Amino acid sequence: MNVLWENIVITMISFAILYWLLSKYAFGKLFAIMEQRRELVRNQLEEAKQTREQATVYVEEQKEALKQARQDAFEIIEQSRQSSSKQAKDILDQAKNDTNRMKNEAIRDIEIERMKAIEALRGEIGAYSVNIASKLIEREVESNPAEQEKLVDQYLNEVGNKS
Amino acid sequence: MHEAPIINLGGFNLDFSAVLMLFVSCLIVFVLCRLATRNLSVENPGKLQNFMEWVVEFVQGIVGSAMDLKKGKPYITLGLTLILFIFVSNLLGLPMGIITEAHQPESIFGHIIEATRNLSHGEHAEILWWKSPTADISVTAGLALIVFFLMNVLGLKYNRKHYLKHYIEPFPVFLPLNIIENLAKPIALAIRLFANIFAGEVLITVILKMGFLGIPFMGIWQGFSIFVGALQAYIFTILTMVYIAQTTIHEEESH
Repeated sequence: MNVLWENIVITMISFAILYWLLSKYAFGKLFAIMEQRRELVRNQLEEAKQTREQATVYVEEQKEALKQARQDAFEIIEQSRQSSSKQAKDILDQAKNDTNRMKNEAIRDIEIERMKAIEALRGEIGAYSVNIASKLIEREVESNPAEQEKLVDQYLNEVGNKS
Repeated sequence: MHEAPIINLGGFNLDFSAVLMLFVSCLIVFVLCRLATRNLSVENPGKLQNFMEWVVEFVQGIVGSAMDLKKGKPYITLGLTLILFIFVSNLLGLPMGIITEAHQPESIFGHIIEATRNLSHGEHAEILWWKSPTADISVTAGLALIVFFLMNVLGLKYNRKHYLKHYIEPFPVFLPLNIIENLAKPIALAIRLFANIFAGEVLITVILKMGFLGIPFMGIWQGFSIFVGALQAYIFTILTMVYIAQTTIHEEESH
């Protein structure tokens, strides 16, 4: 087998032409497309990563918010419990005060009424006793008008001093 | 022995079989690549596009194994062209060969085929028209020469100091040895590829002579030849990349 330099040259030329044709019409576009796909995949991965991070942050926020809400609810309940117990205590105190006051007033009223009654009784008893006494005395006085006059004056004096 | 259909055009020997087969190989590779890159799509690649992308990634792997992929980017097209061209060329001779028998001087386009020029009465020449282009040592030598030029020119261009220095390393006495080593690379490339494919075609011819008995052998050998064809294309490409990497890339660690 002999080597033909013409064949060598023809091979080199045809290979060069094939290389040029392929790089111009086929592989340039193919490489660009593959690069685009690589870019696309990288972007999508990046996006997925970001979404995941966002989701994590969001979940964290939600957890925090939930915790906060629970805290708030607890505080509200606690507050209402405190305020209600305070209110009850206030109402109780108020009621106690009122009853005390009413009791005192009643006692005072009773006292006043009693005094009034005593006063009235005393007046009536006085009148009755005067009546009785006058009736008893009447008999004696009818017999002695001077004595009667004297007794009346004395009585009137007594009443004047007393009032 | 089969002869090549060569005509002499004023001192220029034109081998029709080589021209034809090179043209067919180039045409097949180009049409395949054009079909594969016809309807390119980023998100919905077709079957051929997928196949071609797989080839591209395969070649990227080859280049990446020989050198840094960033520096090797310009060589990916070269590797792709090499591997596709050699693989297609290796397979072309497998399904058939076209041989004509000439009993007297024959001529194409008015020029006598050299192998039939001196046929006397009773002799005949078998002219081989269709074969693997890589079963011709001139073709593989052409490919190897391209690689040889590329590695030396690129070495001189990008890595001149260390490229020249490597000829006198480790001692200036080694200069002839280094030159021989450099020259041996393309010769080894050419002969390895040629011998593998040529041997395959010779064995196919031999099996054909066995007649119907040879059918199972033929099946086995055709399958093995496809494997050898792919393997040789791979070896040629990876050696090309290794050679280019050796001459163009100066590794700091090694000095």
